[in-house]
Amino acid sequence: MTITRSHALTRTLRVLYWLPLGIAFTHYGYTVKTVRGRSMQPTLNPDTSTWDDIVVFDRLGVHSGKPIARGDVVSLRDPVDSRKMIVKRVVAVADDFVQTLPPYPDAEVFVPEGHIWVEGDEPFRTLDSNTFGPVPLGLVDAKLSYIIWPLHRIGPLNHPEPPISKMGVPRDSHWRDAMAAFERERKRQSRITTTPAESDKTPVP
Amino acid sequence: MTQSWFLAHATQFKVLRNVAVGCIHAVNIVCIFHLFKEHIGSPCLTDGPSMLPTFETTGEIAIESILSHRLAPYNLTRGELVSLRSPMKPNRIICKRIIGLPGDVVCVDPTGLKAPSREHVVVPKGHVWIAGDNAACSTDSRDYGPVSVGLIRGRIIARVCCLSMSVKIV
Repeated sequence: MTITRSHALTRTLRVLYWLPLGIAFTHYGYTVKTVRGRSMQPTLNPDTSTWDDIVVFDRLGVHSGKPIARGDVVSLRDPVDSRKMIVKRVVAVADDFVQTLPPYPDAEVFVPEGHIWVEGDEPFRTLDSNTFGPVPLGLVDAKLSYIIWPLHRIGPLNHPEPPISKMGVPRDSHWRDAMAAFERERKRQSRITTTPAESDKTPVP
Repeated sequence: MTQSWFLAHATQFKVLRNVAVGCIHAVNIVCIFHLFKEHIGSPCLTDGPSMLPTFETTGEIAIESILSHRLAPYNLTRGELVSLRSPMKPNRIICKRIIGLPGDVVCVDPTGLKAPSREHVVVPKGHVWIAGDNAACSTDSRDYGPVSVGLIRGRIIARVCCLSMSVKIV
């Protein structure tokens, strides 16, 4: 009896001893979370699925200092209520000009240094930068990289790209979904005016 | 053949295994210290002139309490010192004093250096107005406006005086 109890105790202690390594991995590496809400439809939680999406959150990509690009789906602290986490798509990064959507008071806004402009994919059911303005990068928590549930939508969460359209490849529902996502992304990006980086500028002769 | 080779190098494999296990233990201990520093609190060095009468320009140690902010993120008071991520440079951690809470009307710059001294703003919900103690040499809410409470890391609860080794409550 005492032998089994001490065995259980040592096992618990061993788990407790190794726990920091696991916690650090989820904080600075990868973690898995469920996404609730409809603001990222149809990229996440589309009406066709009966489940909430379970997604791999990539914190390594944010903490390693890799710059966040336009088109990434990120999770961030709500700037208005810091206890809440929200999932949005990055539309513009620092030094871009954005043509805003209705709730925002100004027609065009400049995204300052260290900030990003985020929007939900479903413009009618989202509280995003059009309500609270540009968001500081310090609030960004993770990049969403891979959908692992539901099984029929398993796959990486890439930037929308035009689907392959050539002779012999059937234009099924997947093709139409990919095309619609690409069209939405193009529409979003048409509202952005980028300022060229210093290295891209042509030198004055 | 291969078995005899493994047997011949058994001691080397044992040493290699012990080194690998030792490395994992070391990483685990580093993780313990890091998680403690990031989630509970620790002493940290302050640098820069923006908090001048409170903190010297170099070599001051402040004690940061992160857990107390995590447990009650909206339990902030005016005049409290906080550490937060800079809204402009997300990798920098800055230390400022809270001037205005959500709903307060704040004078943007009473000194008139960066804005006319008659300009007033309302601090929006979920945001605070922060300022450095050294108004002449500080980048704060006068430059970037109210900051979200989500950027705040923790409270500065005490200052360690290096020479006399005494702790003073800020």
